[in-house]
Formats: sequence, structure tokens, C-alpha cells
Amino acid sequence: MINMKNATKWRYFSSAVSVILMIVSISVIAVKGLNWGLDFTGGVVSEIRIDSSISAKTLQPVLQQAYGQEVSLIAAGEPGRWVLRYAAPSAGQTMPELPEVLAGMNTQVEVLNTSIVGPQVGQELAEQGGLALLVAMLCILGYLSYRFEWRLASGAVFALVHDVIFVLAFFAATQMEFNLTVLAAVLAILGYSLNDSIIIADRIRELLAAKPKLAVKDINNQAIAATFARTMVTSGTTLMTISALWIMGGGPLEGFSIAMFIGVLTGTFSSISVGTSLPEWLGLSSEHYRVTPVAQTP
Amino acid sequence: MITDSLLKSNARGSQPKKLLNHYSAWKYLVLVVTLVVMALSALPTWYGEDAAVQISPKAGIALSPTQIVSELVKADILVKRLDSKDQQTLVILNDEGQQTLAKSLLATHAQDPAELTLALSPAAPEWLLGMGFEPIKLGLDLRGGVQFLLDVDITPVYQTQGSSLADALRAFAREQGIRGLSVRQGAEEQLTVVMPEAARAEVRQFMAKQYPLWQVSSNNSQLKLALTEAEKINLRNLTVQQNLQIMRTRIEELGITEALVQRQGESRIRIELPGVQDPAAAKSVIGATATLAFYEVKDSATGAILIKDKTGNPVPVARKPVLTGEHIVDARAGIGEMGTAEVNITLDSEGGRRMTDFSRGHIGKPMATAYSEYSRDANGKAVQSNEIISVATIQSVLPERFRITGAGSYQDAQQLALLLRAGSMTAPVTIVEERTIGPTLGAENIHNGFAALALGLGITLVFMALWYRRLGWVANLALLANMVLLFGLLALIPGAVLTLPGIAGLVLTVGMAVDTNVLIFERIRDKLREGRALAHAVDKGFDSAFSTIFDANFTTMITAVVLYAIGNGPIQGFALTLGLGLLTSMFSGIFASRAIINLVYGKNFSRDVRV
Repeated sequence: MINMKNATKWRYFSSAVSVILMIVSISVIAVKGLNWGLDFTGGVVSEIRIDSSISAKTLQPVLQQAYGQEVSLIAAGEPGRWVLRYAAPSAGQTMPELPEVLAGMNTQVEVLNTSIVGPQVGQELAEQGGLALLVAMLCILGYLSYRFEWRLASGAVFALVHDVIFVLAFFAATQMEFNLTVLAAVLAILGYSLNDSIIIADRIRELLAAKPKLAVKDINNQAIAATFARTMVTSGTTLMTISALWIMGGGPLEGFSIAMFIGVLTGTFSSISVGTSLPEWLGLSSEHYRVTPVAQTP
Repeated sequence: MITDSLLKSNARGSQPKKLLNHYSAWKYLVLVVTLVVMALSALPTWYGEDAAVQISPKAGIALSPTQIVSELVKADILVKRLDSKDQQTLVILNDEGQQTLAKSLLATHAQDPAELTLALSPAAPEWLLGMGFEPIKLGLDLRGGVQFLLDVDITPVYQTQGSSLADALRAFAREQGIRGLSVRQGAEEQLTVVMPEAARAEVRQFMAKQYPLWQVSSNNSQLKLALTEAEKINLRNLTVQQNLQIMRTRIEELGITEALVQRQGESRIRIELPGVQDPAAAKSVIGATATLAFYEVKDSATGAILIKDKTGNPVPVARKPVLTGEHIVDARAGIGEMGTAEVNITLDSEGGRRMTDFSRGHIGKPMATAYSEYSRDANGKAVQSNEIISVATIQSVLPERFRITGAGSYQDAQQLALLLRAGSMTAPVTIVEERTIGPTLGAENIHNGFAALALGLGITLVFMALWYRRLGWVANLALLANMVLLFGLLALIPGAVLTLPGIAGLVLTVGMAVDTNVLIFERIRDKLREGRALAHAVDKGFDSAFSTIFDANFTTMITAVVLYAIGNGPIQGFALTLGLGLLTSMFSGIFASRAIINLVYGKNFSRDVRV
């Protein structure tokens, strides 16, 4: 069992796990890469509903012939519902409409949605997304360095990077589509992961000032213990609502919910483990938060 | 903290009026008024919107309201209500799926079917709408519709400017007898002029006088000419605005009241057409091409064609135009020497020659400007529409640059300049992004989104009630107040749009909003464990939790703001609900829940309570 005596050991152990996970994650991203969605690559995605008796095998050659290229075909939710994805027609060329293509299949075709994104727009969206991530990171760093001492802040930042990399690695490993909504989730994770770290850091700062005699590792343990109930309750309610979104939200929000779920999970874990251990290794001490006596006369 | 409590007790000693856990009456008043207003603002969304067909008086439908209803009922279209106000008739339907059907049925009775528009009408009771509250606007992903992103290619506009100047320079060299002058054009408007040393000053003078908007720099024996950066930006803005204007007028014809046409970034135009199910029809309207021509006005209709002007009067004009729009390089509105509005037109060299030849023989006679547009109708056939936009009298021989006066006010002149530039259509527009969301998918998205919200809210309410027992229901009241505030705000803020990721943001807010209360409650528990009475623990708990709550929310706020600023469309919807959710959760979690706790537990000094 984890208790106050062996808590430090547990913390170091979990930090080591975090670091190993991070190395593994980075190599997964490097090897497999992300499966960029339509928003970033450009192309055509259509969702259709047709007779449920038509199988992918019969559908594939018809589409391939009509569009003159490999058409990716993914079953979506219920039988007879498919998501098609193929490259956008080049300038000046027109592609046959789906109902025409499937006219020979003796079925009613209902096109639920179609998105056509030009390659130029995709490129721009990817750049915009990267910019958003960068700007958010910089703003957060700025705020943290203003609010906390750099050693304490570095723990929160490391935890943050850890969470984002882990979520990206999950999307690389499963090859789930990485689209704009998932990117939004990653940015939301930035905020959320920090939320946890800051609340613990706040407690550490408070305890450092209140009990300057205590060893930093014990202060860290006490801070974690004091905020543990809150961490669990908030993460718990957030995870519950995200699960609700995952179960009920349907296809369009699936990637978003999964990313958020993993992000919140690792966010909680990292804020307790590396988030507190790193400042310790960097030599955080109560010196940095000594209460300076206020001058008697103004 | 020690100093804090000392200060408090001092204050209490000197000022007996300072009460523990007491909110003055005005704070409760603010709280109640805010909640009531927000609840009223959120209510219309609860009722939703009904699909409707709007009939303007210009449509010329000869049927009486009762006849309209009976016609629709005959075709199995269920009519919910029919409002007739100031001759404007609104037919509100039961089923959204029958909207297009109803419109096409009514169109058969109308003289001008273009005056029938698809619309949405709030379903909330009259007294609520009368107070100015409206339902939350739904994004395309929830409502169904078509969205286009158009790219306006500015390069040809610059190129035209460059080639026009090149022509002018060559003509200038001919007139002045400068030999050995050659002009080369770069990828855009930049020109490289090679000439004898002697002529350089002359050319520079010509540039400074005639083309002050060009930057001239010398490089060895060459002159490099380029548009100033400010002028390029100006040209780009004019071009995009001109295209925006064209798109707006074209989309008006589609008859969608809530269509959105707006500029996005430097040279993009975003068009959202809610309710449209067939992108092909919309595409042909957007992709229509416009041309412009100058005609000689004839005295009688014999040997002439008749083109109607704005008021509908036919104007007889020569069969062959003097000049067509592709020769127009630029057209701008200005104020002339006499203080009247005018339009300055620049033609290319060939156009200039033709205009000079024509005007020489027709001084004192009127010349008409016609605007025509080619578009495809519902059957894919090309349709041309013609209109005379101005008739002006030729005062003198017209060179390449001339002005048209008598167009009316400055606004009219601006409008004409816009049309003239539109007629030249030098900036090709391409559709770079197209998204269609079918109405069934939109409805499905709404259903899924709100089911997730209901489930998430339900679980959280139950969990909080079980976990914190007596304080739990306070947190739950705060959470419900938070939802009311959030929906109320979304409906109130102009331009706020609820999208599917926006609903995800709402669900996430539910999970994160309780955090404020959890932080406070955990602090209260700590204080109780230290042996304080409940009332004191409440006071200390709220005080010590505040800075933590602020810190934690601030960082999430940063990401929400960044997302809103950089993202677009659905992502902005997410950023909006996330950011607003943070604000409302601070309000309800700190202010509203304190107000409740003060009333109920504020004077409870027992020490053996458990929360």
C-alpha cells in the first residue's frame, strides 16, 4: 500500500515510468507518424447511407473505377453506412457525383455529408494548428514564470509536454484520424493538465512558506496528499462527462473524446509523478519561497 | 494565514458591523436578477426553431392566407401557423423536411419566385420573443447546410496593372521619340525598363506625375517599377470587397435569409448557406461570371436592342458594344473638381484606342453602360441577365483614362465603380473548400450532443450529491445555475454560434465546473479537521481556495482564447463554450454557492459536522 513513508519511492518510480513512456511515445510518433485527417491533407470525404446488403467488396471496385484511384472505405456505426475518402479532383476537373456512381447498384443513396478540402487549405490549417499550439504554450510559459518559481514551473511544463506527447503517440499507434477536433482536444488538454499541476504547485508553495524546516520531498508528499481527494474527484467527474460524450456523442466526437480521456488520465498521473519530482531534482527548496518580513514602516 | 485571521479579528473588534458569512441584500438581488435574465434568455432555445417559408409582398401571390394553407394541406404539407404582418407572410411548417417542398409549391403561384425565402422562425411564445430574447444560433454542423471557402486570386489584378503601365510607357516613348526603350514584366506587376541614359529623367518625371502609386528604383541602366506595398494592400482589399459584394447579391437571389458571407483572412471568402441541401445549385450561382459593356444609345428601337435599366424602362442601344468589360483595368469613385461624385475609369491601350475613336464621332451623345451576368439555372442551362446601370453624355474625346459624372451621389458612384470593376472580373475565384452536412446528420448531431450533455450532467449531479452529501446539493444547484448562465450567455452574445465541438465544450465544462466547488469543499473539510466550527471553516475555505481557483482557470482560459483567435468555424465554437464556461463556473461556483451556503450554514457554529 502507498502511505506517507513510502510515498517518495512511489513517486520516483512513477516518474521513471513517465519518462520511459515518454521515450517510447516519441519513438512511436517518429516511426508510425500521425494519420492526418482531411482537414490537414485536403481531399474528399463523404458519408453515405445505402442498402445494408451491399458489401465493401462490391462497393470498392465500382468506386475505384469511377474515380480512377484508390478509395478508402470505412464502415461507420450502423450497417449500410460508409465513409469514403479519396483525393480531391485537380483544378478544372470534375468528379462524378456519388448517386450517379452508385446508380447501377440498385439502392437508394443518401449522402449524409460531404467535405472537399483543397490541398492549399489543408496546408494552411496545419500551419494554423501548429501556430495555435505554439502560441498557447508560450502564453502558458509566460504566465507560469510570472506566477511560480522556475523550478516549480518546470515540473508543470514537463508534465504538460508529457501529456501532449502521450496523446499524440496514442493517435500514431492506433492510426486513428488526427483532425481539427482532435487538435482542439490536444489544446484543451494543455489547459487541463496544467490545471492539476498548478493546484499541487500552489499547495507546495504554501507548505514551503509555512514549514521551511521540512525536507522538500516530504513537502511534496504532503501537498499531494492534501490535494489528492480534489484531484481524484475533479478528474473523476471530468472523466465521467467525457465518457458520456464518448458513448453518446457519436462518430464526429469520438476522436475528441478519446483524446480528452487519455489526456485527462495522463494529466492526473503526470501532475502527481513527474510534476512534483522534477522540481525536487532541480533543487527546489524552501529558500525560494521564504516569507520576507514586511517592513514595519511603509 | 495567521496574519490574515489576526487582521480579521481586529477588524471585527473595531467594526462590529462586519458579519461572518453575510452577503448584503443587494448581492442577492444581483444574483437573482442575473439568474432570471439568463434563464429568460436561455428559454427560447428550449423551444427551438420551426422551418418557415417567407413570402415578401413583391412575390405577387394572389392567394389569400386561408387559400395558401388549403393549397399546402392539399399537398400533405402540415402548416403550424401562418403570420401575416405588413403584407409580409410567414408560413410556419410542422416538419422541417417539407420546407423546400412547400417553397417550390408556393413558387408555382408566385409571379416572382425569387421573393420566396426559406427562413427559420423561433417557436417560443410571443411574450418571450417580445422581450428581445432569441434562440441560440446553431452552426452548420448542427443545422445542416452547405459551406464554401472561396479563394480570390489577386495575381491577375496585379498583372493587369503592370501590363497597363507597360503599354502606357511604350506609348509615352513613341510620343516623346525615345528610342531603345524596352519594358519587361515580371511574375506580378513588377516592370523592368531598359532605356538610354538620356531619357531616364524624362521617364521618371512621367512616372511621378502620372503614376504616383508606383515605386521607382534604379538599378544600373535599368529602372525597376513596382506598386507600393500600401497600394497592393489597397488593391487586394478592393478586389476582395468587390467579390464579397458580388457574392452577397448573388446569394440574395438564392433566397436564404440567414446566409453568411464574410471575409476570412487576406483573400478568402467564407459562405455558409444553412438549410441548403444541394450544393450544385448554390455552386452555379456562386460561380456565375459577370461582364460589362459600353453601348451607343440609339434614338429609336429600330436596328437596336432593348435592355432594361434599374427602373425597368427599356433603353435602345446599338447591337454591338463599343467596348466590353475586359478592357477595364480599374474603376474608382471620387469627388470631382465641382464637388460632384464621379467614377474614374482606366482602360487598357486597345480599349483606349477604341474609346477614343468612338467618342470622337459622338460628342454630346449618350453612352450606356450595361452589366450582364451568366449563371446556370436549376436545369444547368446558361442564363444571361442584362441591365443598364448608367447612361452618361460624352463631353469630349475620351482617352484611356476618363471619368463618368452624373452617376448620382458618392455612394452611387462607389456602387458603379464596384460594378465596373466587377465587370472586368480580373480576379478569378475558386472554391477551395466545400462542406455539405445533410439535414438528417445535423439533427443526429444535435440529438447525440445533447444526449451526451444530459448523461454527463446526470452522472455529475448524482456523484456530487453522494460524495459531498450536505454540501453536494449546493454544488449541484451551482452547476445547474452555471448551465442556465452559459445557455443564456450563448443566446445573448451576438455572433455566438453553437457547434458540435461547442457542445463537447459544454459537456467538458460540466465536468470541470464542479472543480471550483470541489476545491472549496476540500478546503472546508481541512478546516473542519483542524477543529473549527462549520461557519468559520466555510469562511476560511472560500478565502484560501480563491487564488488556486483563479490560477487553475486562468491557464485554461489562455488556451481557450488562443483557440478562438487562431481557429475557425467549429473550433471557435469549442473555444467559445470552453471560455464562457470558465467564466460562468467562477461566478456560480464562488459567488452563487457562497450565497446559498451563507444562508443555510452561515450561522452554524457546531463543530461535529461532517461534510
